[in-house]
Amino acid sequence: GVFSHLEMLEAQAHEAGRKEEEKKQQEEKLASLKERVEELRIQRDKLQAKVDLQKKRLSGKERIVSDAAEPSAGAVLEWKIRSLKGMLQLFYLTGISGKLTKQGVCFSISTAYESTYLDSYYLDLLTKPVVRIHRHSVPVFIPLEQIARRYLQTDIRRFLSVLSDHLNAYAGRKYQADQLQEHFSDQLEGRLQRNSLCNLLAFNYKVPSGGKTFPFSARLIYKDICGSLPTEVMVSCTVKAPERLEETAAAHSELFRHMALHKAFCTFSSTEEKLD
Amino acid sequence: MDEIVAEYIRRTVLKIPRNEIKSMLQKWGFLSEAQLQTINFHQIKDNVSQEVVRLCEENSADIKQAAVLDIIYNHMYANKRMWSVYQMEKTGEEPEIFDLQTFKKKFKRRLLSALENVTINFREYEDNAIWIRVAWGTPYTKPNQYKPSYVVYHSQTPYVFISTSVLKSNLPLLCQALLVASNYHDIREMELRSHSLNSLKDIVFKRYSQNFQSHCPRAIQERSGEPEYVDVRIVQENRSEKERIQRVTREVFGDGPQPQLEFAQYKV
Repeated sequence: GVFSHLEMLEAQAHEAGRKEEEKKQQEEKLASLKERVEELRIQRDKLQAKVDLQKKRLSGKERIVSDAAEPSAGAVLEWKIRSLKGMLQLFYLTGISGKLTKQGVCFSISTAYESTYLDSYYLDLLTKPVVRIHRHSVPVFIPLEQIARRYLQTDIRRFLSVLSDHLNAYAGRKYQADQLQEHFSDQLEGRLQRNSLCNLLAFNYKVPSGGKTFPFSARLIYKDICGSLPTEVMVSCTVKAPERLEETAAAHSELFRHMALHKAFCTFSSTEEKLD
Repeated sequence: MDEIVAEYIRRTVLKIPRNEIKSMLQKWGFLSEAQLQTINFHQIKDNVSQEVVRLCEENSADIKQAAVLDIIYNHMYANKRMWSVYQMEKTGEEPEIFDLQTFKKKFKRRLLSALENVTINFREYEDNAIWIRVAWGTPYTKPNQYKPSYVVYHSQTPYVFISTSVLKSNLPLLCQALLVASNYHDIREMELRSHSLNSLKDIVFKRYSQNFQSHCPRAIQERSGEPEYVDVRIVQENRSEKERIQRVTREVFGDGPQPQLEFAQYKV
């Protein structure tokens, strides 16, 4: 009826309006791009003129003098590339990179453990009137305020380096604990006890020996929270066991002290296979 | 098995939606798989709960085990409770070696030394969350299992999530036990309350995805490809305001799911 006819007309009008708007926007875009092309052409001509002038000057002067006095564009470019490569290498090695923002700098700290890349954390810093943290994605159990209090105002490089140490160590410990749970759950008895910082791990695990399995318990404490290896390890057999197992416990303790947790587990499952 | 325990288990099972009962009992792990097989979960809940109670009797359940079932239920349906956030302060700057066993011992000891009639249970979850359930009694009466307090604590953080129980008089004691166990010296309530525990955690732990500028920005998901061609004849009055709100929200909370806002209170 009339109503549906009106609706149809309205839809048509809306559609027509939309198409017109689209067309207008595209034309505006085209015009602005043409303008930009013109600007770039003018710039190119200017630079070309400069280069030509430079060439004329160089060919007119004495060769030796000119080489010493004016570094050629090629040499400058090479120097720039080298220093850029150096900076990128630095970022790659330290895992810290920064980007200037409107109000300051945004740093990103990447973490890794033994060739596995892990999470990245960000810090948005304001630089005026004093350097301070605007926003960040650092977990709440990392002592960020403490580290900032000590170093942020005086030595920003040190601040970043100390924070990076904390984050990398935490990421490394967490990675080891996660790997243990993921790949060696059949050797673990019950839960792996851990905490947010992963600086205390306690677990029970089974050690096969002479056809039987014995229950062992391990407790790893990481007093140095910038370290990813434990500072204290206690391994013991939870039942009265033959003496050779005490040696095994001591050996395991040493392994845990010096080797990544999941790698340690790898080695004793493979040595057990060899013995059997 | 105690009548109180039996009744408590029966009522707890009745709260669980019928299609979740089996999986929750499996999580509980108190009844064996063989026992669970004997229950007909398709009958009316009244009968299901009676059967569960009967099996618990066979295994001689006590109140501690019944309390664990309650924790599991509340962990899954945490949104049914109202949660408040408390912040703790500490003086020392030494990084803490948080030991769960020590924490539990200290907490229990502090509470039990003040009040004998309490039931205390702990349960740890994969995200390092420690759930604590406390049922309160008085020097003369046994603990009331139907009005327990719940505490959720993530180790080595200054935040504690407490489900406000009706018995406010027990709150100071609960706070004290938390301070002693976690090695902090002061605690105060924050202006943050919600039914959604996860939203509260998102806010205090900053778990929402924030947008940071970096040299290798991760691909920001394209917002529904097509640019909107709007008829210019329709003008949105508060368009600039809307855009500003969207931009600020996006800057702070990122593109991911936003924390749920239940109510906002302004203090002048």
